[in-house]
Amino acid sequence: MLEFFKEGLLQFLSYSGFGNCTWGHIIMICIGLVFIALGIIKEYEPLLLVPIGFGIIIGNIPFTDGLQVGVYENGAVLNYLYFGVVKGFYPPLIFLGIGAMTDFSALISNPKLILIGAAAQFGIFAAYITALLLGFSPMEAGAIGIIGGADGPTAIFISSKLAPSMMGAIAVSAYSYMALVPVIQPPIMRALTTPQERLIRMRPPRAVSHREKVLFPMMCILLTAFLVPTGLPLLGMLFFGNLLKESGVTKRLANTASGPLVDIVTILIGLTVGASTQATNFLRPASVLIFVLGAFSFVIATASGVLFVKFFNLFLKGDNKINPLIGNAGVSAVPDAARVSLVEGQKYDRTNFLLMHAMGPNVAGVIGSAVAAGILLSFLY
Amino acid sequence: MKSIYKYIFTVVALFAVTATFGQSVHDLRLNEMMIKNVDNYADEYGRHVPWVEIFNTAYNTVNITGCYLTDDTTGLAAAGKKGGEVPARWYRIPTDQKMYMPQRSFLIFYLDDSPLYGPYHASFSPEKSKTHYIALISSNGKELLDLVEYPVELRDTSRTYGYLLDGVRDPKAFKQGKRQEGELDYLGEFTPASSNETGAKISKQDKLKRDDPYGIGMAIISMAVVFTALIMIYIMLKIFNYVSRRSTQKSKAKTAATPAAAMPAKAGDEKDDIVDGPTCAAIGTALHLHFGSMHDEESEIITINMPSKHYSPWAQKELTMKRNPRR
Repeated sequence: MLEFFKEGLLQFLSYSGFGNCTWGHIIMICIGLVFIALGIIKEYEPLLLVPIGFGIIIGNIPFTDGLQVGVYENGAVLNYLYFGVVKGFYPPLIFLGIGAMTDFSALISNPKLILIGAAAQFGIFAAYITALLLGFSPMEAGAIGIIGGADGPTAIFISSKLAPSMMGAIAVSAYSYMALVPVIQPPIMRALTTPQERLIRMRPPRAVSHREKVLFPMMCILLTAFLVPTGLPLLGMLFFGNLLKESGVTKRLANTASGPLVDIVTILIGLTVGASTQATNFLRPASVLIFVLGAFSFVIATASGVLFVKFFNLFLKGDNKINPLIGNAGVSAVPDAARVSLVEGQKYDRTNFLLMHAMGPNVAGVIGSAVAAGILLSFLY
Repeated sequence: MKSIYKYIFTVVALFAVTATFGQSVHDLRLNEMMIKNVDNYADEYGRHVPWVEIFNTAYNTVNITGCYLTDDTTGLAAAGKKGGEVPARWYRIPTDQKMYMPQRSFLIFYLDDSPLYGPYHASFSPEKSKTHYIALISSNGKELLDLVEYPVELRDTSRTYGYLLDGVRDPKAFKQGKRQEGELDYLGEFTPASSNETGAKISKQDKLKRDDPYGIGMAIISMAVVFTALIMIYIMLKIFNYVSRRSTQKSKAKTAATPAAAMPAKAGDEKDDIVDGPTCAAIGTALHLHFGSMHDEESEIITINMPSKHYSPWAQKELTMKRNPRR
């Protein structure tokens, strides 16, 4: 009888997490806890970091294979939820929500700001070149480079197509750096600008009419999708969401897209991407390199935006000049990057409100990164 | 030229150029051909007849309707003229059929002198021809899109002849009526409606590794495309801005044309037909104080000068509100 109990207990232990735990699992669970802490205590992108952090914990609970509980096991519930990430249909749904939430007025009223959003995409291609030099294949390099777009859904969409095996590391890296925008960007902005430049006051934008706001998404989808059809899933949903918002007659749809729908997809994408970072797949030298390259592309993207504004200012006069502190907002971390511009600007002039000006390049960055993603797909997929 | 027309012209020109060069019959090639077909590729009636394969080298759909296939180009100059007759041995690809070739696709035409058999059957046969070439001519009958001169022996051998690398030709040499050595040759395998490159296939990734090992070329092209896309949006927004400004000016002018506004202006007010906001505010306040019988002596200074703002107007809630009620 005692033998039976002993055997049963040992068998149970062999199935439990304690029996299968490795150092890798513990490290990953700690990373998950750090993510949750950053989200709750520091409030860095809590809507993303909390689900991802919890997903990392779920994904790294040790278990015996074959129980159909892991995210990579066919038939597991988590595997079904992960399907939306693998097949890339969560990111376009998030873009639908982003479109329904975004007000493009700042961009429409001051069109030149859109070029900052284009310049900041240089980070993607700088990281692509560097990744190639480090020995990654072109497809992997493309997937890593997209981290520089500072756009989580786009990073997931591209990596699911170009380098599925790296998707966990790329997604976590992209979201981590998006959350760390307030930490990463300010030193670069300060290093690349002079005190005089930081004090530049920009002309208040004009009022934008309802007609312009309605026409904007329709014209944009025609212009961008004809040029880069591969970006259609992202661009199409982004502008469709925006049309729902601006048309004024589809408020219910816009509210659903920007509210419950995007919330549900954010929960699913955050949790499953987090769960996909199982220690066995995640703790590899390549993951470390992905994180390093991600940081590099982020730095280059920010610097490109700021430097482009400085260059652009050479051709602008008077109150047409742009404060280079909004250059960082060319990366598409909406609205965090724009908020960083505001905070930095107010450090030097408390009465200079750069937020709405920075929203222009910020939303341009969303369009730019979706276009860049389309180009990467057309070259590499 | 007014700036609005400049912008509109730029956008239209951009689209026109893209459309013209994007969907061009100049991307078509006579990729592969077989003159003596004994027991190879059969047509839809099971017959073994000569055939030619057209390849769309472009990365977009090309409409080949109206183009001509022939083995006799002597009437090229005459046919291109207005009212010029189309020579007998020219087969016009029918307009009533769907002849849209998707990107990098192949299409087979049977050269069997049996046009009644269907749209893919030409009205001439190279077996009966005095020449030994096949040509593809544009729909206006003026331009030679491609011409492949095959060895006379091809009529006696059951082999195919064509581009060794799908549709790759030297444009300069072609213009001069010449061919680069090794461009065309007998093909090792019959590949109707598929690629002639039957050797080990190079994947997209390997090709990129080979042609652009450091990724600089791709980075430059990609950045150019990103900028192009956003510059197009920029131009569109500039048009928006211009139209918006014009409509504001028009509505101002309309307001000024109303009877109340048409009252004679005071001396010195010739510049502005419309009473501006601060003036309205000052008059309104004065009337309000007058009718309200309020103090004679004011503790504050009333001025019509604009106050200097020590803050960004973005902080003002009123500026974020719409003027007109929304549905």
